[in-house]
Amino acid sequence: MKKLSKMIKPGFLLSMPYMAHLSLFFVYPVVFSLILVFHRWDVVTPMEFVGFKNFIRVFSDEVFLQSIINTGIFLVLHIPLQIILALFFANLLNQKIIARGFFRTLYFLPVVVSGVVVTILFQQLFNYDTGLLNQLLHKFGMGQIPWLVSENWAMPSIAFMATWKNVGLYVILFMGGLQSIPAELYEAAELEGASTTQRFFYITLPMLNPTIVTVIVLSVIGGFSLFIEPYVMTGGGPMNSTLSAVLYIYNQAFNFGHMGYASTMGLFFAVIIFTVVKIQRKFVETEVY
Amino acid sequence: MLQYKDFAVLASWLIGLFLVFSVSCDNSNESTVESENGNKTITYWSSPNPQEFALAKELVDEWNAKGHVVQVKLQALPAGQSSEEVLLSAMVAGTTPDICSNIWPGITNDFIRAKGLLALDTFEDYYQVMGERVPEDILESVKAKDGHTYQVPWKTNPIMVQYNAKMFRDAGVNEFPRTYSEFLDAASKITKDIDGDGRVDQWMGFRDIRPIWWQRYYDYYTSYINASGGKTFFDKGELAIDEEASKKVFKFYQEIYEGGYFPQSTLQGNAFLYSKIAVEFTGPWNISFLEKNAPESLEYDYAPLPVPDDYEGEAYTYGDHKNIAIFSNTKYPQESWDFVKFLISKEADYRLLEFASQIPIRKELLTDPDFKDFFKLNPSLARFAEQAAFTRGVDSVRDFKEILDSVARYYEIASVYGKMTPEEATLEMIEAIQILREWNK
Repeated sequence: MKKLSKMIKPGFLLSMPYMAHLSLFFVYPVVFSLILVFHRWDVVTPMEFVGFKNFIRVFSDEVFLQSIINTGIFLVLHIPLQIILALFFANLLNQKIIARGFFRTLYFLPVVVSGVVVTILFQQLFNYDTGLLNQLLHKFGMGQIPWLVSENWAMPSIAFMATWKNVGLYVILFMGGLQSIPAELYEAAELEGASTTQRFFYITLPMLNPTIVTVIVLSVIGGFSLFIEPYVMTGGGPMNSTLSAVLYIYNQAFNFGHMGYASTMGLFFAVIIFTVVKIQRKFVETEVY
Repeated sequence: MLQYKDFAVLASWLIGLFLVFSVSCDNSNESTVESENGNKTITYWSSPNPQEFALAKELVDEWNAKGHVVQVKLQALPAGQSSEEVLLSAMVAGTTPDICSNIWPGITNDFIRAKGLLALDTFEDYYQVMGERVPEDILESVKAKDGHTYQVPWKTNPIMVQYNAKMFRDAGVNEFPRTYSEFLDAASKITKDIDGDGRVDQWMGFRDIRPIWWQRYYDYYTSYINASGGKTFFDKGELAIDEEASKKVFKFYQEIYEGGYFPQSTLQGNAFLYSKIAVEFTGPWNISFLEKNAPESLEYDYAPLPVPDDYEGEAYTYGDHKNIAIFSNTKYPQESWDFVKFLISKEADYRLLEFASQIPIRKELLTDPDFKDFFKLNPSLARFAEQAAFTRGVDSVRDFKEILDSVARYYEIASVYGKMTPEEATLEMIEAIQILREWNK
């Protein structure tokens, strides 16, 4: 018993910094936001207890509902596109091609560039009247596309941009996965007369399943926190079509000082994320090879 | 059992954490402090705008050189999305300065409720100083609900139209349009494809179309004040939006975007400087910028905003007032007030015009013998000074930013994208504002 106590003490002491960090930056904010959901607080004046008023408001707030739908649309567009492109490029970069290292670096470059910089760059590319993309389309005799100024185009444009920015990271993950597949499997399949397509679908894809799960989980988490792109490029427009849940919560909290209401929306959003992750784990993780 | 040694380690961690907190929460840089050489100092935050900061630096240096016991330490307002956001954060963190000269009147209510500002009318000479400088109605408008005054009306930036005279002339328009119809007619002549590639590359003007609340100050809100003959959204604390004026404004901008006279996108660089657009809705701060950066071939002038066709009377506009306040955490209220008086002295106001091209809120500015010659030499600024008499600010209501957010939503739907009639947009906008005010009660 004495020996056990002797072992616990250093562990306890060594974990103190982490515990302090956890308490300060996780437990405290969570507890505080749970208190906030029952209050009105604009940061500068004292809190005012409002009971369930914030909850009632959440249920009647059509803009919040739209922001959640928008986030869902973004995820539906962004995640499959990201996985397909990342897998495609990873396969290419896994071949013995000239300047492979250079291309690997090139694809990873957008990941390390600041999100705001990339967003401003794409804002100019997507510019309806003066943007490079529409200039090219016009040169080829095609009509201009309202990339960021149409309800139908704005979110797909943002999803495309986010994919361009992040795909390099997932290419690296997929390449790691591809390199861990035993070469014997391909050799055996080749001897049995399997075509390239068959080898991809019956060997590569099943063997990559753990990586695919990781990519989906990371993409979903990243997708739910969609903020910088609409904040800088569209401000949530046109007509709220790119207003993500996080952007709406941010506006309510920091622009309008509705900390209590923003916390309540945050709580609902957390429940939604939790539910999605649960469902995702049930359907995707069970498929892991 | 924990031994003494273990407690010592634990205590070291706690002390370390405490020190980290103490350092991060230290506000000695921002508020009243005693400096290293024993002099007492007060901190003054000025706008980070280069011209305004240069002026502040000169004034602070002059003040400090006079050997006052309490010296002034100048800092530019820290970077943030807006000055209001920065000041609110500073108030929460307890790091407000002693004085700030970039206070937007719409935010002062929040500061007053938080007991963050000093009531300036408690100084003996307040009414005398203010009475000499500020027009009676403006002084009355900054009075808080509790009867005290917490801010000094300092400067106004009337929003006017800055236009490229040559582009108008080339399009066969010799006088700047006075009404909406004239403006739209001129816009149809100016907006065109110059290089003949089949795409428009010259526009009448440009406004940021993103639904960001403060962007609406410079289009819808300015035009609303103008179309309503100088009304704001509230009358004696009650919502009183002039529906007819709002419909006219929505329709005006709807016609602008329908005709493609303003692009639905951002323009790279300064489009006015390179004659890509013919008009810009702007304040006097742009004068010094253009004087420094405009090519010689650029002929520009300023005019009041166009008014609805059936409008009669003076053209009103949004004033974009900025005031000075003293924060209640100051240890030297009297000395801070003395410095504020120095900032609003006639000499300092003269330099505000000279350095920053901004209009001090001062009685009979245009006829004052001390300023008369200056305006003769600076006719552009004289136009803004004339317009300053016909400006309105923002209503001092708690949820004004959120109200403008509703405006931004309906402006976007009706005017930019034409998905709603101006009548529907006005009625739905008013309803949305009423609902949000009800929630915020």
